[in-house]
Amino acid sequence: MSGGSGEEREQPRQTSPLPGVSSSASTSASTGPGGRATPEMKRSAVRSLIQRYFHQLQSGCGNAACTNDNCASSGKVAPMTPNEVAARALQLFSQDAQLCESLGQAEAEASHSVAPVSVISTLDIDMLSPNDSSSSSNSSSSSSNSSTSTITSASTTTTTSTQSQSVPAPKSVSVPGPSASSSARATPPAAAPITSSASSSGACTTNLSEVKSLEASCLISLYEECVKKDSYDKLYQAVGDVFSCVERLSRSFVRTPDTEEEEEPPAASQPLFPAKPAEPLNKEQLRTLEGEHDKDEDSTQQAGAVANTDTAAAAAVEPDLENDDDAGPEDVDDEDVPMEPAPKCESKAEPLDPSMSSDTLVDFDGLRRVQRLLFASKSRTVTDKLTSSVIQLADWIHYMRRYTPDWEKVVHCLVICFDLATNTNNMDYLDRVLPKLCLAAASMSVKAQARLARIWAAHCSDQLQTLVSSCQQQITLQVLLDEESVRENEHIKCVTKVLKIVFYANILASELERPSCRVSADELAESAASTSADGVPPEEDLFLYNQVMHPHMPKFAEDQMEKALKVSAIDCRKPLVPLEEFYNEALSENIQMHHDYLSYKSLAMESEVGSSHSTYFSFMLYAFILTPATKVDALYYDSRMRMYSERYSTLYSIINNFGQDGQDAQHRPDLKLTVRRDQLINDALVGLELVAMSNPKDLKKQLVVEFVGEQGIDEGGVSKEFFQLIVEEIFNPAFGMFVQQEETNNMWFNATPFENGAQFTLIGIIIGLAIYNNVILAVNFPMVVYRKLLGYRGTFCDLRDYSPTLYTSLKSMLDFEGQNMEEAFDQTFKISYSNVFGEMVEHELVPQGQEVLVGQHNKQLFVDLYADFLLNKNIQQQFNSFRKGFEMVTDESPLKLLFRPEEIEMLVCGSREFDFVELEHSTEYDSGYTEETQIIQDFWKIVHAMPNESKRKLLEFTTGSARVPVGGLKCLRLLITRHGPDSDRLPTSHTCFNVLLLPEYSSKEKLEERLLKAINYSKGFGML
Amino acid sequence: MTAPRRLRKELGDLQDNTLKSFRDIKADDENLLRWTGLIVPDNPPYNKGAFRIEINFPAEYPFKPPKINFKTRIYHPNIDEKGQVCLPIISTENWKPATRTEQVVQALIALINDPEPEHPLRAELAEEFLKDRKKFVKNAEDYTKKHSEKRPAD
Repeated sequence: MSGGSGEEREQPRQTSPLPGVSSSASTSASTGPGGRATPEMKRSAVRSLIQRYFHQLQSGCGNAACTNDNCASSGKVAPMTPNEVAARALQLFSQDAQLCESLGQAEAEASHSVAPVSVISTLDIDMLSPNDSSSSSNSSSSSSNSSTSTITSASTTTTTSTQSQSVPAPKSVSVPGPSASSSARATPPAAAPITSSASSSGACTTNLSEVKSLEASCLISLYEECVKKDSYDKLYQAVGDVFSCVERLSRSFVRTPDTEEEEEPPAASQPLFPAKPAEPLNKEQLRTLEGEHDKDEDSTQQAGAVANTDTAAAAAVEPDLENDDDAGPEDVDDEDVPMEPAPKCESKAEPLDPSMSSDTLVDFDGLRRVQRLLFASKSRTVTDKLTSSVIQLADWIHYMRRYTPDWEKVVHCLVICFDLATNTNNMDYLDRVLPKLCLAAASMSVKAQARLARIWAAHCSDQLQTLVSSCQQQITLQVLLDEESVRENEHIKCVTKVLKIVFYANILASELERPSCRVSADELAESAASTSADGVPPEEDLFLYNQVMHPHMPKFAEDQMEKALKVSAIDCRKPLVPLEEFYNEALSENIQMHHDYLSYKSLAMESEVGSSHSTYFSFMLYAFILTPATKVDALYYDSRMRMYSERYSTLYSIINNFGQDGQDAQHRPDLKLTVRRDQLINDALVGLELVAMSNPKDLKKQLVVEFVGEQGIDEGGVSKEFFQLIVEEIFNPAFGMFVQQEETNNMWFNATPFENGAQFTLIGIIIGLAIYNNVILAVNFPMVVYRKLLGYRGTFCDLRDYSPTLYTSLKSMLDFEGQNMEEAFDQTFKISYSNVFGEMVEHELVPQGQEVLVGQHNKQLFVDLYADFLLNKNIQQQFNSFRKGFEMVTDESPLKLLFRPEEIEMLVCGSREFDFVELEHSTEYDSGYTEETQIIQDFWKIVHAMPNESKRKLLEFTTGSARVPVGGLKCLRLLITRHGPDSDRLPTSHTCFNVLLLPEYSSKEKLEERLLKAINYSKGFGML
Repeated sequence: MTAPRRLRKELGDLQDNTLKSFRDIKADDENLLRWTGLIVPDNPPYNKGAFRIEINFPAEYPFKPPKINFKTRIYHPNIDEKGQVCLPIISTENWKPATRTEQVVQALIALINDPEPEHPLRAELAEEFLKDRKKFVKNAEDYTKKHSEKRPAD
């Protein structure tokens, strides 16, 4: 600590009227500690002077008899706007005009003089130097000695500070008039009265002294005092002191435990402030000059002294505290946390890893009570100070990220600052502070971020919505400002990271399913094994597939936060803030997914090589922010990449083997299926079986379908039709693989199928291929199927969508309170259901279940077993085969990383609503049609008037699928082309390109008639 | 074929304590999930006859509600020509698994005796019921005489 924490503070003011101020400032700077940071000192000295002029012009020195022409108190200053005042202050400074010395001014100066630069730098230092905090009054005085001496030659100052250290209050007065004005600003006589007023004004008079912490109550009393005096300087200073420093802020707004409230806090805080009343101002001053000197050192010392002398009780608490979080070097400072013994209880009650806790000491009630004071219009300067202080604080945190500060304290600060942000509508604070706060929060360790998420979830769940929207606003704004390089924009990245914290906080705050319904890897393997054991004998299972059964999420893509919090979005059925609100449209639109995908691939490659991946950032790891349509893009690039790489390696091997015989199917660059229309399922089954057995990787090639005896090049349209036909057939209840549930029209696995597992594997492959080849299928699974595909187990909650009646019945059973439950329900652990033939089948949920009645004690078990039976056990074999097929196609894709179950459903089935207005807006025209053409206008009039069923048919006619693609109809990019002049021909379409060929019919009536005929009789030939 | 314990018990209970207005309760020999019974209403215009109903229980009973069908034709605003009846207590939204079949039948009898024209299945009958009660009663009586079963002698 060479530069020394300026212990010598005292009020300068007295000397300042001397015209020599500025020069003296520079002098002092040059004589400063080891020549350190001279320019900065100079600058801050200058700044403080200007601020003093400013203040004097605006508020005056407080002396009614003031004669200074440039002091408001003299009444000679004309009213000016703040800008004018500022200009005038500059002018005065350059003229070395007279400065009054006054009480108010003194304070003002003290706080004003904390120039951002100096504070940041001082903070840096003290956080880095662990030994500065030993904090006995001895060491403090000695260090202050040294520091002062380095700063100026004015030995008087040194004495001052030393004295003031040992003998608190007005001691400083003893230094009458330090000659070197700004450097050795000695205590003006005025300081004495201040002190006294301070101590007299009761508990929390934080006025002159450097404020070390703030509680809601003392902030309020301070505010009231300020209102009385109509001068907000004290508040200004207090806010500046506390909010700019992690140390202090982390000690502020601490919740008081109800029990100890009575006397402890006042006792603790009272002595704290009066103890060093006169010094701090001087200290501030000095610091200004010193630029980067340690600020905290001295504060620690003082506080330490205070704590030691005054609050033995508090001191007793400290060991606990420190043991708890001795992460950061600055920890020792904890000693001067003279607050209530709250931490003691906490630390005893929670011997566990504190980072797992959702407890926080932040006094939210108090904080919210005072926040309106801080943002009150009257105290605008205070608000400004708050803003700039918090910015300093955030900058510091960001800067310190590499030195592993005590994150616990940082979290405390961030909780406070974010809470201020979400509770205010002060635009200035929001605009300037939030970005910085996000930067700070994003630079925290994962553990600390997880801690923040827990605190938010437990204490600020009502703020999450606001947090989400303010994060989104920031991102959107940045995107709009910087459309070209959203992916490189640091700010966007930071806010995205913060949004992730909010995302998880949101999940934690919602009702979670516990234990998690995720199926562990072991269980998966086990179930797979048992299937082949008691199910189909292995040799009969044609799709024997011995690769990893469940998707391996690449290591680098594992979500650390998810891990730390032990929670997953899927555990949460009804998020507090709908997850859709986490989508950022603007970002998603401008992200240029192929670039982001490359970053993702780079990350993947780096993690394979084992190098660190700090340089790349992929939004794919923050999938919650991307809209499904954008994520589909990512998936598309991924599958195209894979297809091309498969194609490339095939070509390579063909060339290598050129001339040798046996160019069989596996040497094709694509996945070719030749099928007969009347033998569709069998042909597809055999063809895919062959591929799956010989080389499952071929499934990742581009699918090309050929119908025997039909000409046509598959540019997508033919395989679309293939998918559609095969799905129609396989899901036909008459086929026996799936049953349609009466209540919901959903398809469900036939629990007593006639087919072996292979057919289910086939349909799994088909669904995988459909996603992989970007085709939408008309399948109607309940959501639980997609959840199960993602590795979760079906639970009671899934019944809601599987069978609403069953769900409500079981729910009402759970809600039944009466003790006569056994008689009321007469329900045993034997349940029954009807099979595909409508016969009743019975099943015992536990051995001898028919002997066990359901009562209050086991109703939950009954419900869980019932759901587990229906959703998992009863169809396990079928489902495992189904999933196996799905995995064969998708096991390497980032599907699981990007999509939630609901989104996968959208991927497979498209969304269920038709917005033809959206379609009209996105439609393009060709070959002579424009949107102005009469027939086009007629066309849309007809279409918009159609019933939904006809719209569905039209959609199917033009695109080959009755479902809306993910992202809505606008993503279809329908093209309407003129197909010659008026004729009797029907409209036709190219489904693979979504083109509608429309002859220019002579009338609207004819158009309507032809169009309806085409869409109603399209099957089999309408699609080209 | 066995039936769920609860159903067997309910059938037994209903057969033991005979209700005045619901008689002749039998479960199908083939299918214990299908019951029949005879509704014997007290109020005019239906007190001139008796009405055969069929109750179909789903396999998941009592977790899914039973369905009720009239086998005897009846002139009633809340029962359509196919014999389907809309009874709130067994609608999928309102169904509670603790509800007993006896309660369901009581609700049905109450509905027969006092039609609810506000929620009709046959709007024209509901209108007649509200606008021209005399005509409605006459029509219903005629219809009952013509189609209903004989009331059991007590």
